[in-house]
Amino acid sequence: MVKNITIFTTNTCAYCAMVKKYLDVKNHKYDIVNLDEQPHRQAEALALSGAMTVPVTVVTKHDDTREVIVGYNLAKLAPAVA
Amino acid sequence: MSEEKKIVHDVIMIGAGPAALSAAIYTTREDIDTLLFERGVPGGLAAITDWVDNYPGFPEGLAGLDLANNLQKQAERFGAVIELGEVMKITDEGEFKKLETTSGDMYARAVLIATGSDYKKTGVPGEQEYYARGVHYCATCDGAFYRDKRLVVIGGGNSAVQESIFLTRFATHIDLLVRSTIKASDVLQKDLQKFVDNGKITVHLNTLTDEIVGEDNKVVKVVGTDKATGKNIDFPTDGVFVFVGLKPNSEFVKDLVDLDDIGLIKTDANLHTSVPGVFAAGDIRSGATLQIASAAGEGATAALKIREYLDAREHILE
Repeated sequence: MVKNITIFTTNTCAYCAMVKKYLDVKNHKYDIVNLDEQPHRQAEALALSGAMTVPVTVVTKHDDTREVIVGYNLAKLAPAVA
Repeated sequence: MSEEKKIVHDVIMIGAGPAALSAAIYTTREDIDTLLFERGVPGGLAAITDWVDNYPGFPEGLAGLDLANNLQKQAERFGAVIELGEVMKITDEGEFKKLETTSGDMYARAVLIATGSDYKKTGVPGEQEYYARGVHYCATCDGAFYRDKRLVVIGGGNSAVQESIFLTRFATHIDLLVRSTIKASDVLQKDLQKFVDNGKITVHLNTLTDEIVGEDNKVVKVVGTDKATGKNIDFPTDGVFVFVGLKPNSEFVKDLVDLDDIGLIKTDANLHTSVPGVFAAGDIRSGATLQIASAAGEGATAALKIREYLDAREHILE
């Protein structure tokens, strides 16, 4: 079971919009960290994903385990939020 | 044994970029049952392009992402369905085309291939190793990680120039490495000159890219060769963006339809491929001009030709 979801995004990222659309369709709520508006959180995104890219989606489960999905990757995102 | 029930659509479009979305606007308005398959982002490369200045009807230009969203909304308004998934193979079974997809087997009376292209890789050492950790292909996705950093951009076409200009929002300086000469449009070259004049971008013509070098898990420099002198040059950098041309997404149909030497799909003037009932439009088509407006136009043409094809088949079946 999903406890919360956070997406690291930027204003211009098309793949971020796709992640949001997918989560909207599946009726999931999520928090957004917009790195254009909060550039000081870039290091956090990089530490979580190991990649200098967005979207980075962090899915935290009820047992507090965490799954980090880099990019728009439905093969990983779909089971993570199922 | 009972035959498994076939899922049959009038037309399945592979890809959901400007060509397919435009085609879908036309087919769905005429009540032709239309399904689109998209493995990436609806809008295709247009969706990840920072700014589109030359699409007719938008005098101030518009963000590529907004154009993609608008095209998608318009197609969906008339009933187009976009399935997020991939088509692995198409088999011509005469009246029907069988599509093996990530959602199972599907059948269509007609198929439109509008899979476009992806950005090519340079193939130099270090490129794969540092992918997404210093080597990137999407400025609008990854540019924000290079605030107040130095960058190298590789390429000399429209994308390389346009994305270099976009990246000046973040980077302190950009070295643009161009293998021969700048091939971008005159308008973009004029825009580029402003950034050259203010010192934000330095253009290095006739410069080969040999290697992307990293230290401590980070990109630190690009090694190039000046073709005129044959000398190696180091370009210290924090990251590299690669825009060296396009690779057609036609691998999955290479055994089905005729391709040209670079893998683009050959069509006749009606956008019909070598297989009856299979059409191609947009950047994947041999002879395409790689413009969003052209792709939209080809999509409209393809839709009308698909309708003619379906109507003709209906007469034959009657």
